Amino acid sequence: MTPPEAPTLTYAFAVCRGGALTALAALPGLDTGAPVRTLTAGPLTAVVQDVPAAGFGEEALRRRLSDHDELERCARAHHTVITAAAALAPTVPLPLATLYLDDDRAREALGERETSLLTALDRIAGRAEWGVKVYAPAGPPPPAPETAPANGTANGKASGRAYLDRVRTRQRSREQRHTLTLRAAERVDTAVRGLAVAARRLRPHGVEVTGKHRTQVLNAAYLLDLGRERELRAALASLHRDESDIQIELSGPWAPYSFADGGLADRRIADERRTSGGMSP
Amino acid sequence: MTERDLACIPPPTTGPPSSDLAEILERVLDKGIVIAGDIKIDLLDIELLTIRLRLFISSVDTARKAGIDWWETDPALSSRAAKDALAQENAELRMRLHALESRMDSDERLSAVGATAEEGADR
Repeated sequence: MTPPEAPTLTYAFAVCRGGALTALAALPGLDTGAPVRTLTAGPLTAVVQDVPAAGFGEEALRRRLSDHDELERCARAHHTVITAAAALAPTVPLPLATLYLDDDRAREALGERETSLLTALDRIAGRAEWGVKVYAPAGPPPPAPETAPANGTANGKASGRAYLDRVRTRQRSREQRHTLTLRAAERVDTAVRGLAVAARRLRPHGVEVTGKHRTQVLNAAYLLDLGRERELRAALASLHRDESDIQIELSGPWAPYSFADGGLADRRIADERRTSGGMSP
Repeated sequence: MTERDLACIPPPTTGPPSSDLAEILERVLDKGIVIAGDIKIDLLDIELLTIRLRLFISSVDTARKAGIDWWETDPALSSRAAKDALAQENAELRMRLHALESRMDSDERLSAVGATAEEGADR
């Protein structure tokens, strides 16, 4: 139908069920000029946008997403559409850059996965994802023995022994702190799990993201029924009172990114475990 | 600080949380259901890793086990890394002791020399 001078691809943001999604048309999406629109496939509705094939073909996309600023722009645009959709209807987010050659291919793909998509939608309806991160302060423990060796030379061997003692003490307190931090993180996880329908551990961020002054000891996502936010905040606040050494960060509500796979991710992890000759769960 | 962090998060069901890029990418890149796209697959398989490395989003892979043994490499919290630090400090201490001992030796020698050769300027 469209003339060949401007070939387009269908970029898919999310898959929804029901809901009045017309409000999404007001969003710029990936800012290609084309409106964000919906695409019906049986009981499912995909949130899509036409994008120019020239800018979103495999090569072009790879180039673009390797650029930090461009990646950030795309990621934020993608996230914005998903978040807006999730506010209107149960929404399964799709990963960044999910592209089909045209609407028919998108419909076809949705049709093939209809069952698992419906399962995922059932699972997340009326729920939201919350992120909980726990940080421990990094760096040496409080009594810094850095100045010790300098005056150690004044009174000979006795201060050498004292120095060793100090080093040993520092080592011990480090280990203690490590254990305590771990336990605190576990307590946070257990407490939030108690409120959640599902929980998932994500990979903790490295120091490149968190900064050198603190270390992430827990990065988890929890699926909570809508309306349990107050309980969640209360639980975290009370944990924070008890665990004064750690820092707790809450983020959300998120579209249920980490719980939208209808059990597929679990199966994939199980497969990985089997093929890698195995860790037990 | 944490209290503030907890408090400043927007109330429920308002629009997008204004989260930092790392957190958004964490979710947008590889969470959510994957419906084989016509173009996406290459990106996921090959490019994603590069993208992540570029953005330093990826953290230690071993963290996957339980999400907690990643700090093996962190000297602040790892006992093994801390042991390395201890060994280093021991070596440093040994060097200091050595320096100290040799200085004491030479002090003794000097005082001995001073006693026998009061006015001796020869060395």
